[in-house]
Amino acid sequence: MSAITAPGTSALPGGTPIQPTEGPTNSSGIVPTLQNIVATVNLDTKLDLKTIALHARNAEYNPKRFAAVIMRIRDPKTTALIFASGKMVVTGAKSEEASKLAARKYARIIQKLGFAAKFTDFKIQNIVGSCDVKFPIRLEGLTYAHGAFSSYEPELFPGLIYRMTVPKIVLLIFVSGKIVLTGAKVRQEIYDAFDKIYPVLLEYRKP
Amino acid sequence: MAQYELYRRSSLGMALTDTLDELISDSHIDPQLAMKVLSQFDNSIAEALHSKVKAKANIKGHLHVYRFCDDVWTFIVENPQFRFDGNEPVTADKIKVVACTAKVAATNQPAAGGGAGNA
Repeated sequence: MSAITAPGTSALPGGTPIQPTEGPTNSSGIVPTLQNIVATVNLDTKLDLKTIALHARNAEYNPKRFAAVIMRIRDPKTTALIFASGKMVVTGAKSEEASKLAARKYARIIQKLGFAAKFTDFKIQNIVGSCDVKFPIRLEGLTYAHGAFSSYEPELFPGLIYRMTVPKIVLLIFVSGKIVLTGAKVRQEIYDAFDKIYPVLLEYRKP
Repeated sequence: MAQYELYRRSSLGMALTDTLDELISDSHIDPQLAMKVLSQFDNSIAEALHSKVKAKANIKGHLHVYRFCDDVWTFIVENPQFRFDGNEPVTADKIKVVACTAKVAATNQPAAGGGAGNA
C-alpha cells in the first residue's frame, strides 16, 4: 500500500484526550485502507425525478420501491441517490476528493438536464476503512476484558463489534485478523482508532 | 386483456399492418375491423411467443448504458455476442435492449385490447 497523505490533522470532537496523529504510529506499519465514503449534497432546487430518469444515463427510478433516482457514474466509480427535494447522497468513493468530484459530476448532470442545481452543503457523513493485522484474534478474551465496548455474539454475527468512544468509531474485529472501521467523519479518526486498538489486538493474538 | 403493441413493429406486424392498410384503402374492410385485427394480433403473438418458442439465447457484452423508468428497462450493450443454442455466435457493435414487465398494468394501455376476442 502506498503512503497515505492525511489532509491535515483533523480536530476530534469534544476536546478528546487522544493526541493527534498522522498515519501509522504503531509498530505494525499497517495503515487502514479507505473502502467507502458517504457524502450528502443539497442541490437547492426541486427536481422532477421522472425527467431525470428518462434523460440521464445509468439511472433507475422505481417510485413503487424507492422514492429516489439511483444513478451511477464510472469515474469516480460511485452511486448517487437523488431525491425530489434536491438532496443527494453519494456513496462508494474511496477518497474525500473522489467523493467531492463525483458529487460535482452528478450536480453537473442534473444541471445539464435543465435544473437550476447548485452545489451546497457538501458534507462527508461516513468513512469506512479496513485492514488486516495478519494474525488471528481471540475474540472471547477481548470481549471479556473490554465488556463495556464489545459485543460478541457468534450466533448472530461472526465478528466482534467494538464501539470505541474516543474517537467515536465502530470496529468489526474478525477472528481472521481482518478489521473494519466505520463511523468516521474524517479519515484521521479511522487511523486513530486503529492505532488505539492495535495494541489490544496484539494482547489477544491467538497463540 | 390488454397487451403491448410492441410487436406491431416486427416484420410480421408490419406486414399485417401494410395488408390491413391496403384492404382499408381498397374499401374491403373498415378501419375499426383493422384495429380489432391488430389488437387480436397483439394478444396472439404474446401468447405464441410465450407458449410456442422454446429457443434460448445468451447475450454477453459490455453494458454501456442502462435505464429503468416506468417499468421498462433499457440497456445499450457494446460489442454484444449472441449465442443461440450452441450455434456460431453472432456479434454486433452495439445493440439496444428494451424489456417490459410481462404483466401490463390495466391503466397503461386502455385502448390496446378493448373489445378484442379471446385467443
